Amino acid sequence: MAPDPRGQLPLTAVVLHILLALTDGERHGYAIAQEIEETTAGEIRTGPGTLYGSIQRMLAASLVEETAPRRRAADDDERRRYYRLTAFGKRVLELELQRLSRIVRVARAKRLLHDTVGA
Amino acid sequence: MMARLSMLLRSYRAAMLIYPQSFRARFGDEMAELAAERIARARRSGRVAVGREAAALLIDLVRTAPAEWSYAARAERPAAVHATPRDNMDIVIQDLRFAVRGLLRRPAFTVVAALTLALGIGANTAIFSVVNAILIRPIPYPNGDRMVTIWGVQGTQGQNGVVYADYLEWRAQNRTFEDMGAYRGQSVNLTGGDTPDRVFGMFVDASFLRLVGATPIQGRVFTDAETQIATKAPVAVITAETWQSRFGSDRAIIGRTLVLNGQPHTVVGVTRPHVQTPFGAPDVFLPIPYYPNASGLQRGTRGISALGTLKPGVSFENAQRDLRALAKQQEDAYPATNKGFGVELQSLKDQLVGSSRTPIYIVFGAVFIVLLIACANVANLQLARGAARHRELSVRAALGAGRGRIAQQLLTESLLLSLAGGGAGLALAALGTKYLATILVDSLPLGADIRVDGPALLFAFTVSIVSGVLFGVAPAWKASRTNVQDMLRARTGAAGYGHAATRNTLVVVQLALSLALLSCAGLLTRSLMELQRVRTGFDTKNLMTAQFRLPAVKYDTPDKIWAMFDRAVIEIRAVPGVQSAALVRAFPLSGNGESYPVTIEGRAPVAVGDAPNVQVNSITPQYFSTMGIPRLAGRDFGASDTRTALPVIVVNDELAKKTWPNTSAIGKRIQLTGDDRWWTIVGVVGGTKHFTLSENPLLQAYIPHAQRPQIFTTLAVRTTGDPLLLSKSIREAIWRVDRDQPVWGVRPMDQLLDSAVGAPKLIVRLTVGFATVALLLGAIGIYGVLSYTMSQRIQEVGIRIALGAESRQVVRMVVGEGMRIVGVAIAIGLAGSFAAAQLLRSQLFGVGPADVLTFSIVTVLLGLVAMLACYLPARRASRVDPMVALRAD
Repeated sequence: MAPDPRGQLPLTAVVLHILLALTDGERHGYAIAQEIEETTAGEIRTGPGTLYGSIQRMLAASLVEETAPRRRAADDDERRRYYRLTAFGKRVLELELQRLSRIVRVARAKRLLHDTVGA
Repeated sequence: MMARLSMLLRSYRAAMLIYPQSFRARFGDEMAELAAERIARARRSGRVAVGREAAALLIDLVRTAPAEWSYAARAERPAAVHATPRDNMDIVIQDLRFAVRGLLRRPAFTVVAALTLALGIGANTAIFSVVNAILIRPIPYPNGDRMVTIWGVQGTQGQNGVVYADYLEWRAQNRTFEDMGAYRGQSVNLTGGDTPDRVFGMFVDASFLRLVGATPIQGRVFTDAETQIATKAPVAVITAETWQSRFGSDRAIIGRTLVLNGQPHTVVGVTRPHVQTPFGAPDVFLPIPYYPNASGLQRGTRGISALGTLKPGVSFENAQRDLRALAKQQEDAYPATNKGFGVELQSLKDQLVGSSRTPIYIVFGAVFIVLLIACANVANLQLARGAARHRELSVRAALGAGRGRIAQQLLTESLLLSLAGGGAGLALAALGTKYLATILVDSLPLGADIRVDGPALLFAFTVSIVSGVLFGVAPAWKASRTNVQDMLRARTGAAGYGHAATRNTLVVVQLALSLALLSCAGLLTRSLMELQRVRTGFDTKNLMTAQFRLPAVKYDTPDKIWAMFDRAVIEIRAVPGVQSAALVRAFPLSGNGESYPVTIEGRAPVAVGDAPNVQVNSITPQYFSTMGIPRLAGRDFGASDTRTALPVIVVNDELAKKTWPNTSAIGKRIQLTGDDRWWTIVGVVGGTKHFTLSENPLLQAYIPHAQRPQIFTTLAVRTTGDPLLLSKSIREAIWRVDRDQPVWGVRPMDQLLDSAVGAPKLIVRLTVGFATVALLLGAIGIYGVLSYTMSQRIQEVGIRIALGAESRQVVRMVVGEGMRIVGVAIAIGLAGSFAAAQLLRSQLFGVGPADVLTFSIVTVLLGLVAMLACYLPARRASRVDPMVALRAD
């Protein structure tokens, strides 16, 4: 089956940020939450329920997948599960970002948005 | 802290039960890990951050749970024909609409449940606003979290004042403090107006004003040079409040001269409003060298209070070690004055609020129990209603609503109800905080102000959500577990039976909690009664007191002071309505008083700190007869005990018996620290309570005012009638001696006694109030359950009556059933009472935490109220017309 990635759009803010956080490689849940908090300068703080609720739906929609259980280093926390982006997830992310940039372009054209120099 | 964290995490784990099992099994561990990391990180920023994080986690939980239920429900029946709402929000809105409709359809239930919750949530929020104002909010100083009080230690006795000279060396030589400040509060005479006035003066150094953030709004505050002994400048800074009330915010105040304690001072500045010191809000600041007690700033005298701000990053222990090393050097350098002198630190916040912590937590605990009982009540109401709604739910289940879906719907209803209750509770809380603020106004540190603010709103919201979940989970759980076929097949009547066990358990919990709370309230009440029964050691009726302090500049020799005192007593005795009068330096229970270590002639010297500490008071002749303190041996002071005569002293029987157990104390001699003279004991009197009513018997001694005249003294006046009527004429009598002399603190003894039991009385008032509410809610609980059970069993009762049962037997049967539940509750409640009472131990006076009498009384009280609550439904059942009953349903 090849579901239409467009059916997933628009993404919620949390889902979008989870996808963004996973573009650098696989991560476990806590690392995802941490990265979201850092990249949004604390604006989005995902609580455990919000984070894993979203991950559950993203797993079901095949946006992300759990990595195969790795050989564990001695200090690896047994509870940790790692997630990574699927090809489908990557495609959805691209489409969403294109959609957002179109919106930004429109906003610029209407002079609603100004570039902040050096930001 | 560690224990509390793991408890937080355990509660988080428990709270995860509101998610569907499938979700928990898959993600529970990971979620707990994330929560643990979050809390551990918040912990580094302090207790407030942990609280905020816990609230955030809770809100996250509650916000996401409904979505997971609906997700689980959809997963359960993927092929369901009903339309799957595209968005979770649709479901939530749909549920909300259902909930509103459902609640409006049963206005009586909704109002009763919401009001019960409003009571619980409102009371909790009001008390929380006190907890927040006193215990949570940081103290209102710049860098308040780094501020400490610096106490002197003498031998083993801590929490003394410090020596000014020592303080100056600490301030110059320490390596751990950003700054230190010295202060000493005392009333100050302000003269030059129509009547002489007493204002609250604070003698400070310049750094103290910086530490407490007393910035100027007019002029300036003191410079460091102005507050040094060598350069002592005659200046003054007044507070904004004084400027406004006394000088009408006069712009020309700067440069004006005020006569304070008989000396002219130039006003150089006005501080911002609401400047607070650890000892209250003063009217005027004066440079510390003007502190009038002659020996106050000398080496060897612990005359001042000191506080300081630690440098950022310096630990409390390091700062203490630093100062202790300096104190040790001083002990070696000044052996004559500093022997045995040490130093200790206490966080300023701890000093200010430490003693109120336990009482506040007791009241908070009490009000929390009320909330639990209220939740149990509403849960029971919901269950009863759930039974009645059985058919509706069955139909919805048959039409394809999943278990999760129905549970979610019921939970939404509960949350809506609890939020409505919370809203009404906020209104109650606003009233409650206003009331609390008025009764607490005198006992709040640093003018803390009690109000429903952001944190209180957040608290009310969280409590509403938590209680919504608490009382919603049981009904939702029940509803989600019932089998559809059974539901539809069952008759309405029988449906209630399935819930009986849950309902009875809830009632048992309610009554047991009520009993535990009643026991605590009972113990505190008995403790207060014991306190009020304490014998003060003197006759408190028709007794009146007033204070005055002579300006040291005007009364600069002991003879001048004594001449003034002597004439004042004569004038007051001449006032009509005065039976007798005397002067005493520190009136009992007025908050004043001083204690010294004493040396006993002929005994081997003992280490500092081990010498008997005696509370010493200066009095004029006839003090004992005026107060009604019994004379046990020897004589009273007389006119012949002048300054040049033999120094004489009267001791109380406690001191006499402890020191000379086998012989008479009369004729023995003792020496007071700081005074070279040997004082000969000429009399023995009964003991009095001096500082608090709950203190153990003190070692006390009295010396004649004439032999050591000091500028501060208090009147003791025994009147023939109502003492309050004489306050004006007593003031005038003193003004006949010196028309510039302010007199203040004119109070009847009753008022002093009242304030001596003020704090315990307040706690008793609140806990008894909450216990009463708890008892009523508990009674309503058992009444509700029994009424409901009886309405379900009306046919059985009808048959019994038809078969010849008398109404008395029916009543006995029903009441018996109710009381069986009550019996279980009492057993559990008593066990809980014993445990809870242990927590009260430190607050109890004259009654143990396992007081059989108290426990018996409250148990009987609860039993009687519960029996009445059982009797009403029983009587109704016994009057059932068998024909009507049999035809029912």
